[in-house]
Amino acid sequence: MQRPRVDSNLTSWLLAYPDTYEIGLPNQGLQILYELLNERPDATAERAYAPWIDLEAEMRAHRLPLFSVDTHRAAGEFDVIAFNLSAELVFTNVLNCIDLAGVPVRSAQRSDADPLIGAGGHCAFNPEPLADFVDFFVVGDGEEVVGEITDVVGAWKRSGKRAGTREGLLRDLAGIEGTYVPSMYEVSYDGAQLVEVTPRYPDVPPLVAKRTVADLADWPYPRRQLVPVTEVVHDRLSVEVFRGCTRGCRFCQAGMITRPVRERPAAQVREMVSAGLERSGYDEVSLMSLSTADYSGIAELVRDTVTAGAGGGAATDPSRISVSLPSLRVDAFTVDVAAQVSRARRTGLTFAPEAGSWRLRQIINKLITEEDLYSAVRSAYSQGWHRMKLYFLTGLPSEMDPDTEAIAHLAQSCARIGQEYTKRASVTVSLGGFVPKPHTPFQWFGQNPPDELARKVRLVRSALGRNRRVQLKWHDPAASTAEGIASRGDRRVGAAIEYVWRKGGTFQEWSERFDLTLWEEAMAACGLDLDWYVHRHRGEHEMLPWDHIGAGLHRDFLWQDWQDALAGHGLPDCRWTPCYDCGACTEYGIEHIVASPVAPNGGSQGTGQDLATGHVVPVELRPRQLAGAGAPAGGGA
Amino acid sequence: MRLRVRFSKTGKIRFIGHRDVARVAERAVRRVGLPVAYSEGFSPRMRMSFGLALPTGYESDGEYVELPLIDGAMLEANARDGVGSDVAAAGPAIVCRSGTHVPCGDEPDLDAPSYCTLAAALSEALPVGMEVSCAVLTDGSGQSLQAAVRTCGWRFDIVGLAEAAATKAVADLLAAGTVVTERVHKGETVSSDVRPSVELLQVVGSSNRGAELSAVLSATPRVVRPSELVPALAPEHDMGIARRTHQWTCGAAGRAEPAVPSRCAQRQKETLSG
Repeated sequence: MQRPRVDSNLTSWLLAYPDTYEIGLPNQGLQILYELLNERPDATAERAYAPWIDLEAEMRAHRLPLFSVDTHRAAGEFDVIAFNLSAELVFTNVLNCIDLAGVPVRSAQRSDADPLIGAGGHCAFNPEPLADFVDFFVVGDGEEVVGEITDVVGAWKRSGKRAGTREGLLRDLAGIEGTYVPSMYEVSYDGAQLVEVTPRYPDVPPLVAKRTVADLADWPYPRRQLVPVTEVVHDRLSVEVFRGCTRGCRFCQAGMITRPVRERPAAQVREMVSAGLERSGYDEVSLMSLSTADYSGIAELVRDTVTAGAGGGAATDPSRISVSLPSLRVDAFTVDVAAQVSRARRTGLTFAPEAGSWRLRQIINKLITEEDLYSAVRSAYSQGWHRMKLYFLTGLPSEMDPDTEAIAHLAQSCARIGQEYTKRASVTVSLGGFVPKPHTPFQWFGQNPPDELARKVRLVRSALGRNRRVQLKWHDPAASTAEGIASRGDRRVGAAIEYVWRKGGTFQEWSERFDLTLWEEAMAACGLDLDWYVHRHRGEHEMLPWDHIGAGLHRDFLWQDWQDALAGHGLPDCRWTPCYDCGACTEYGIEHIVASPVAPNGGSQGTGQDLATGHVVPVELRPRQLAGAGAPAGGGA
Repeated sequence: MRLRVRFSKTGKIRFIGHRDVARVAERAVRRVGLPVAYSEGFSPRMRMSFGLALPTGYESDGEYVELPLIDGAMLEANARDGVGSDVAAAGPAIVCRSGTHVPCGDEPDLDAPSYCTLAAALSEALPVGMEVSCAVLTDGSGQSLQAAVRTCGWRFDIVGLAEAAATKAVADLLAAGTVVTERVHKGETVSSDVRPSVELLQVVGSSNRGAELSAVLSATPRVVRPSELVPALAPEHDMGIARRTHQWTCGAAGRAEPAVPSRCAQRQKETLSG
């Protein structure tokens, strides 16, 4: 058991996940920082999770503050309380946790003695909705910057946190690359329109550029993954095989903000898998990334992992070790991979075609053909799977009813393929409403209103008819609207988030707790126009609330990609084809780290596969130099 | 061969449920690399069977899990070169990934040296609060533990109840012909007579919460919990912490335990912590 040191001389971090323990414990980012901080001689880190409403009621009734799960230390005693932001709908929980810690929810009201409130994770790439509540944000990879912050906070702590020094500390923090301190910036508006975000001091950078670790091989963490004694989601060993993704799906924020691709060396992955399994006692390992089938030599890696679980026996022996591969691309999932995975207990299989028609998949740059999908599905059924999940988005740019209905067609075809192999074949379609995200080519797109999303869900449902082999599940369109408020909101939206929290709107990720009317009421009460924030298309020259946060991507690369999307032009994967200078590498002087020079399975996207076969519109892969001509240097964000 | 493991569940870990205990135990077995048999079929699972489920929140000194070992798990007598003559002399040994371990033997002589390393290895692999006190080999014949256990021994305290009041309450309960108490079963309130299930009940002293009692309650036809007695003993008071001390089977000579904790485990633990 790992027990963090309790010593008031150490710079102490409380790493908080603003959802329940069951959801938050497996989070890898939090575990990596937990380990790195506890390895430092001058720091200690503990963890906290949001108490469910029944426990919160008991805690408030007994005047118990938020406390760490490690040593039950009160949250208010820590130097830093840092939140992981992996989804927008947890924002009200962040406020609730700050309040439960006994800390004023607004940064401006905090005193020198109060803990610093920090936040990081993907949602920190648009920090503005939480700008009034969080003292500092970390943008990008946290491995290096967490140490730099500890140095600065530690020095301040040793100097006694004297009255009136908090402002100076925050200013020092703002000087750390990748650290955004919202109180160091003035924001001005012209009516509804945001016009300027300006640093208050000359030493505060006008653009906060994200942090990127150059080589994952330098960071073999977590080495000692936490093993919960109660059941949690993702209750298995997780090993990150690569970070970043350049498939270039235009809706995908993760793929845009985590570039470039950095593969972990295969030998290190093998070592982390075998050491991790032995230490934890788990019998399942998840090879994590944004698209694991793209890992160079994935079939060999899976084969070796499974074979090791069979006690080094014959390649056909059943294995005690299951491998789960999240985020599988269908054009890289082969019979070979399927056969290796299926030697152990079969894990769930999810494919994400994202859009029903080839036309729309070109728009979103998810360039997988129907044949790609069917051959992946065939691989899976032929290797003994009975059911799989297909993930789709609806409400995508230029989506028309035939595109939406094509989702049903794809699912039915997959189920039909399954029936060739097993009578039990079934397909679950999971349908999510598309929420445009900052730092993506779709950041200018006006989100579909909830009634339109609901209509599209009904369209798929009726197109499916009474097909007992295809089950449809969908995300509440109303929740997508609330997510849209926070996703592309500016600093003014913070008041609405606070309003929802004060009205008891916690755990908005949980359908039984979610209530759109609360959000509508909050927006109205704060004088904010929900339509303007969520459903409106943005123009090329409009200042966006996250323009002062740099994800490395040139703004005109994103705009050009948005125009290419509308024109139906595809974009190849630059890890296997020439660079089109999105900015992620060139701005940072770093490069992809990829072991294989070619795409797995000779996959699509500019790697020689004939994408036109059997389709109405062939995709056009244009050289990027033409598309992005005239991009001024340093035009990122 | 089967390995019968007796373990405790005390402190904070008492709040995890039976299914969680099963998962924790499975991981501990894999951490030690104990060669336990798996089920056949598409979805092989580790074969393990537990004694009677312990109510969540209760502590215990007497939990059991039985683990069938794969063929070839035992170290052959002629293959023990290098294991050490002490170990070889101590009886059977089990080849685990983490090394060769010796289970507890029948040690009638409490002063005899013990070489059991298995109990300690399993304790090390379990969370704080779960300690293995005994790991013995059985031939796996006979009833399952769930069927064999007839009664359970308990210790529990009643918050804020004085010892004298407890003594009178116990006497009253034992003198009564029937003791009807209510409990919630599958969302419904059920009342039943628990008096026939009480084989033994006595006050043994006081804890820092209140009077402490010891009980032997029958496990058939259903397991009666100490908490069911508390409304009859002291309706105004709550039960503090309950701890299962024993799971008793019925042997030829009366009450017997599936496995008796040996001193070897404690001895090993001392060595490890020192």
